[in-house]
Amino acid sequence: MRRIYESDALRRDDDDPHASAERDDEGAIQALRSVPATALSDRLVPRGLRRRFVSVDVETPRREFAVGEPVPFVVTFRNRVPFPVSIVTASPLPWTWSVDGDVEAAAADVSLRDPPDEPGRFAFDRGERKRFRRRWDGLFRVTDSEWVPADPGEYVIGAAANVADADASGLRAETRVRLVE
Amino acid sequence: MTALLEVEDLTVRFYTEEGVVTAVDGLSYRVEAGETFGVVGESGAGKSVAALSLLGLIDDPGRVERGEVRFKGEDLLSIDEFALRSVRGDEIGVVFQDARAALNPVYTVGEQIAETIEHHLGYEPAAAKARAIRLLDRVGIADPEARYAAYPHELSGGMCQRATIAMALSCEPDLIVADEPTTALDVTVEARILELLAELADEFDVAVQLVSHDLGVIAGTCDRAMVMYAGRAVETAPIEELYYDPKHPYTAGLMSAIPRIGDDRDRLETVPGTMPDLIEVPSGCRFHPRCPFAEEACARTDPALVDPETGEAATFDDDRAAACLEYTEGLSGGLDYSVEVDGERGRKRGGPDAEAGRDAGREGDPDA
Repeated sequence: MRRIYESDALRRDDDDPHASAERDDEGAIQALRSVPATALSDRLVPRGLRRRFVSVDVETPRREFAVGEPVPFVVTFRNRVPFPVSIVTASPLPWTWSVDGDVEAAAADVSLRDPPDEPGRFAFDRGERKRFRRRWDGLFRVTDSEWVPADPGEYVIGAAANVADADASGLRAETRVRLVE
Repeated sequence: MTALLEVEDLTVRFYTEEGVVTAVDGLSYRVEAGETFGVVGESGAGKSVAALSLLGLIDDPGRVERGEVRFKGEDLLSIDEFALRSVRGDEIGVVFQDARAALNPVYTVGEQIAETIEHHLGYEPAAAKARAIRLLDRVGIADPEARYAAYPHELSGGMCQRATIAMALSCEPDLIVADEPTTALDVTVEARILELLAELADEFDVAVQLVSHDLGVIAGTCDRAMVMYAGRAVETAPIEELYYDPKHPYTAGLMSAIPRIGDDRDRLETVPGTMPDLIEVPSGCRFHPRCPFAEEACARTDPALVDPETGEAATFDDDRAAACLEYTEGLSGGLDYSVEVDGERGRKRGGPDAEAGRDAGREGDPDA
């Protein structure tokens, strides 16, 4: 089979001033343009310690919403240190949100997804802040195909990194909202 | 009798930092031997992901999380990569959207076709070359011997697409998955490529799963079609029933959005709004925020795909299915739309654009 290097496309000719010059870069020392800082940080900083460097916050634009009105909220994860860190998560799902402890406002027996059984990585650059906007539509999913509206009252919207003991590691935050008639 | 391809409960998710994108959610359909099956929907409906996942072509962070893809009764999702490679290209051919990108730029088009033939059919190089030249000739490329040695950049977009069709047909597959094969081409070339695909599908008795966002393309080419919305099938029907008697409001909306020559409307009808973010799909029926017939129940109940006549869950054997509460619980206002048909009914194969594009060829490049 004819390859590109057998064609004229890569012809080099010292007698032809318009031909591209051949260059021998083998063994040339190049400037170190970037350091694989995240990989370096992963090797140097213990896993348990990395979690302490990341903070979580959940915010809503106001405290009260009418029943049936969607509740927008912003989840912010922030790396508080001036070097990159990454958190090893239980699955490729980096974080989750919940309402009154129900993940994505769905009952425990509703199958939302089935992430692969392998760890994931939630990586932050130095001092990086990651903001995610979500919306709770004021409904609870009770079966795979049925939703019911939330009653008036107070609800806790939480967000947590997908790690074991997120509470103890400070990787969980929550806020309260009130639904009114 | 088992269909050539049976896809059951296929679910594909992409695990990203922004969230989990459910690109295909519980998709089920069948493709019979020799038929042309269309998959239609807006951009982001999950059509291409569904097509690529049949062949194990989903890249990280995508995962086929659930479901079965049975080809001739064998589940392609449970066989190993080596076995899948022998199916891919041999029994299932693929035609990608951007032919120039799909072809390797540093091999000649002929070599790429011949390589497939050598690999799958065990031909000697000379015999593979002869077969590749015959295929280039068959797909309408003039002077195929000279074109065999041409690199993709030396061919027009239409010729590249013809070459990829030749490659897909090279091992006489039973199924061709064509993922928007004409999107990158202009209308006249598009018509010829579709005509060629239909003609070759008949000649080689090969089934085609044609993915397109263009309802005109689907109407002119397919026997049956499935309409997708936000990763789900919302309607499946034989092509004439789909066009003349759409059962889902989304299908009806798509039909009304087709511009027609001689239409005296001041403004073209559109389906208001946009496809939802697949990270955060609406509760209940995914189409309800855009549906003019939506009621409170539509936000609270996810409608199953059912036979619109009986309201019973659709099976593989049902040709007709739609996912709207109207056919199970009933909407208090009903689906208040009607379809008016002007002119002759029942045109198939080619469509109006095919007629417009025919006989405009130039020597050497049939798509010029």
